[in-house]
Amino acid sequence: MTLLKMDGITKVFPGVRANDQVTFDLAPGEIHALVGENGAGKTTLMKILYGLYRPDSGTIRLRDQAVAIKNPRDAIARGIGMVHQHFMLVPPFSVLENIILGKESQTAGVLRLEEPAREITEIMNRNGLPVDLTARVEDLPVGLQQRVEILKVLYRGAEVLVFDEPTAVLTPQEVVELFKTFRMMRDQGKGLIFISHKLDEVLDIADRITVIRRGQVVKTLLRAEASKPLIAELMVGKPVFLHVDKPPAAPGAVILEVRGLRQRSPRGHLVLEDLSLEVRAGEIYGLAGVEGNGQSELVRAITEAVRLESGDVLLEEQSILAWDVRTRRDRGIGHIPEDRHRYGLLLPFSLAENLVLGRHHRSPFVRGSVVDFARMRAYARESIEKYDIRTPSELTPAHALSGGNQQKLIVAREMRFDPILLVASQPTRGVDVGATEFIYQQLVEARSRGKAVLLVSADLDEVLSLSDRIGVIFKGRIIREFRQEEATKEQVGLCMTGEKRSA
Amino acid sequence: MRKTKSKYRVLETLSPILGVLASVLVLLVIAMIIGEMPGKTLNAIYKFTLASASRLSTIFSVAIPLFLAGLAVAVAFQANVFNIGVEGQYFVGGLVGAMAGIYLRLPVYLHLPVVVLASMAGGALWAAIPALLKVRMGIHEVITTIMFNNIAAALVNFLVNGPLSGRGEKSLEPQTLKIQSTALFGKLNHWFNAIGLKVPKHVYLDYSLIVAIVMGFLVWFLLYRLRQGFEIRAVGTSLEVSQYAGIRVKRVQMTAFLASGSLAGLIGLQEIFAIRGVYTFEIAAGLGFDGIAIALIGGNSPVGVIFSSVLFAFFKQAGYGLQLYTAVPNAIIYVISGLMILFIVVINEVTTRYIRALRRKEAA
Ligand SMILES: Nc1ncnc2c1ncn2[C@@H]1O[C@H](COP(=O)(O)OP(=O)(O)OP(=O)(O)O)[C@@H](O)[C@H]1O
Ligand SMILES: [Mg+2]
Repeated sequence: MTLLKMDGITKVFPGVRANDQVTFDLAPGEIHALVGENGAGKTTLMKILYGLYRPDSGTIRLRDQAVAIKNPRDAIARGIGMVHQHFMLVPPFSVLENIILGKESQTAGVLRLEEPAREITEIMNRNGLPVDLTARVEDLPVGLQQRVEILKVLYRGAEVLVFDEPTAVLTPQEVVELFKTFRMMRDQGKGLIFISHKLDEVLDIADRITVIRRGQVVKTLLRAEASKPLIAELMVGKPVFLHVDKPPAAPGAVILEVRGLRQRSPRGHLVLEDLSLEVRAGEIYGLAGVEGNGQSELVRAITEAVRLESGDVLLEEQSILAWDVRTRRDRGIGHIPEDRHRYGLLLPFSLAENLVLGRHHRSPFVRGSVVDFARMRAYARESIEKYDIRTPSELTPAHALSGGNQQKLIVAREMRFDPILLVASQPTRGVDVGATEFIYQQLVEARSRGKAVLLVSADLDEVLSLSDRIGVIFKGRIIREFRQEEATKEQVGLCMTGEKRSA
Repeated sequence: MRKTKSKYRVLETLSPILGVLASVLVLLVIAMIIGEMPGKTLNAIYKFTLASASRLSTIFSVAIPLFLAGLAVAVAFQANVFNIGVEGQYFVGGLVGAMAGIYLRLPVYLHLPVVVLASMAGGALWAAIPALLKVRMGIHEVITTIMFNNIAAALVNFLVNGPLSGRGEKSLEPQTLKIQSTALFGKLNHWFNAIGLKVPKHVYLDYSLIVAIVMGFLVWFLLYRLRQGFEIRAVGTSLEVSQYAGIRVKRVQMTAFLASGSLAGLIGLQEIFAIRGVYTFEIAAGLGFDGIAIALIGGNSPVGVIFSSVLFAFFKQAGYGLQLYTAVPNAIIYVISGLMILFIVVINEVTTRYIRALRRKEAA
């Protein structure tokens, strides 16, 4: 029996066929991975299943019955749940309130909480998803917020669960936990659809793998038939090498110096405690650490004016604390932000405009005060070409790009400004294998041209393979630095938990 | 391909018209409830709006200050600044402009631009305080500008009755001295007559029309061609992204606020310099608030505001017709403008969906 069958699904957006006669099925008790390049049409297919988009043609069958899913309400009623990458939670509400929101039950106008709480606790136990029901969602780390999302979906009785790049925001440890939950749900006979660009994860968890390319299904493989190079080749249409060619480092003068930073959170505990580090010209410095140990605060202290208790940040031996963002950018600090949706893009603006954002006030994009749109567009076409951003044109609004292509846009913008210091937070988040390789090459190339790169990433493999030096951040300090040759995954990983002694 | 694109264009432009028609329909229903037959209501509207060259050109005359008011609000909205203080800025701007017209002695070719600039400066000055309070201290502009509207009204009242009053002028209402002839706005009616458009003598299509056209163009140029306008629109789209990109958000909001205030200062030009020739406390009130509706209906773009201000003028005139010939009260136009905002938004959404469906069919 199939749980779900999508047949001949086609969806056209202006200028692109996002899905072209896609056929996809899911059995109960199966984890079916969906992979493909950025812009291949994965998210679109899932949004159709969840009723967020209507297909132009094609049918959806649930347990061999044709269904029309007009909106997410229909989808939920039919047992389809989606864990969004951008969480749909109410931050000041408690975990319990968030889970029951929209499905509240009441007695004589009074919200009933005990019964749902009991039911939810039971779901937590069955699926390995412990969360404190009374905690406020805004106080939880990303991994736990995701659990709340999953609980929400399960509480509504989902049998088909869609996960669109759930691991992109998780730490490796959290991924392990998530996969435990995945297996438990599978064993209960639920069907899971899992989207990821990390092929190791896909091979680790999936029962079947469907590859789509430019809107069409290329092949559906059983786990046993699949291998990393094979999937990569099917995705891209040619072999991919997945490796970084890195000439030996030739570090020069100190570009960035961070000296004894101390900062407290609004609630008063120390988030940066005497943090110091140096990044030199021609060097990639990787920051490894479990999320929430001060990475974001450090990045903010370098890229924008913030209040510090003490310490100093210097760019080429000059203190930058008094500089605003504009000055920092003009003096050569580039920044790939961690949260692209919140900071990275003006979604209704065109790609061309987004590609110059931050430099839009400078030659050659303005003459005097007049914007030179022709220049801007020509420059955008070059960037699109060079960074392989999949888009109908440079005038397409940024919101119409796929997630990975939005990320590529930001990377292209910040790298093409050619900063002397690039602060790159999660530069390849949501980006496919081919594009990841390209971004790595670009980072290494920037380093060869004598630029300094501060790389912040939750992906330890990324940090280890790109960085010349690795600093481990723990509770707001750098507790240890490794040279690339001496760093092993185990050692650095152990150190990230605060274990200093390992030698 | 080309052809289908223009088909969508037609649909897109048609949608606000449908919104207007829907509002008229509601108006007719309300009139019927009050006891007026649709025929009579429509006739009353027709008589006051389209029946003669005089009526028709009056609509455009009335639209001039409305356009400036809509433009003033729109510029601020684009940067996510809610300038509810256009009303007060217009009172103060008008008074400062009038002072320049009364007390400065200049040749015509200087006096006219000077009064325009003085009006702008007055409006900007009145906007500057709430703008500074917002940017420096984070006090929300809606609160301060509403307060400043009241202060402006009281201040102007005091000045016109007291220090600036033109005693000796024969008038029942308190007013200033007469504006000098070198600063008075002449009419352009003969220009229109020359190209075959009949504009009767008593209708005011005066120099303020030129000011409005120039300002409309300048605002368009600012928003869509200048770096500052790009930043205004960026700030209006997302504060966080703008900050990240190094845009000096406060400075941008200050600029938009002051631009809005300067435009607000121009709303009174027609009435003060063309119609009355003095500044009185009786100059039309409420135009600043009309500007909010006009900006919303016009989608905060200069081109949109051209249409919405003419539309608003049309309904304003229609309201007088209803008042005179039917039992429907004049105030109905405020109901209608509210409905128009609603309908235009809704119908716009519906047509967008319809266009999407058409595209889909084409693709399949
Ligand atoms: N709302 C939209 N409007 C217009 N085009 C869109 C829209 N959403 C997606 N597209 C286009 O459809 C194509 C498929 O996008 P989709 O988001 O499904 O890709 P994806 O496979 O999820 O990619 P990624 O791995 O980058 O997330 C892309 O070319 C994208 O530009
Ligand atoms: Mg996607």
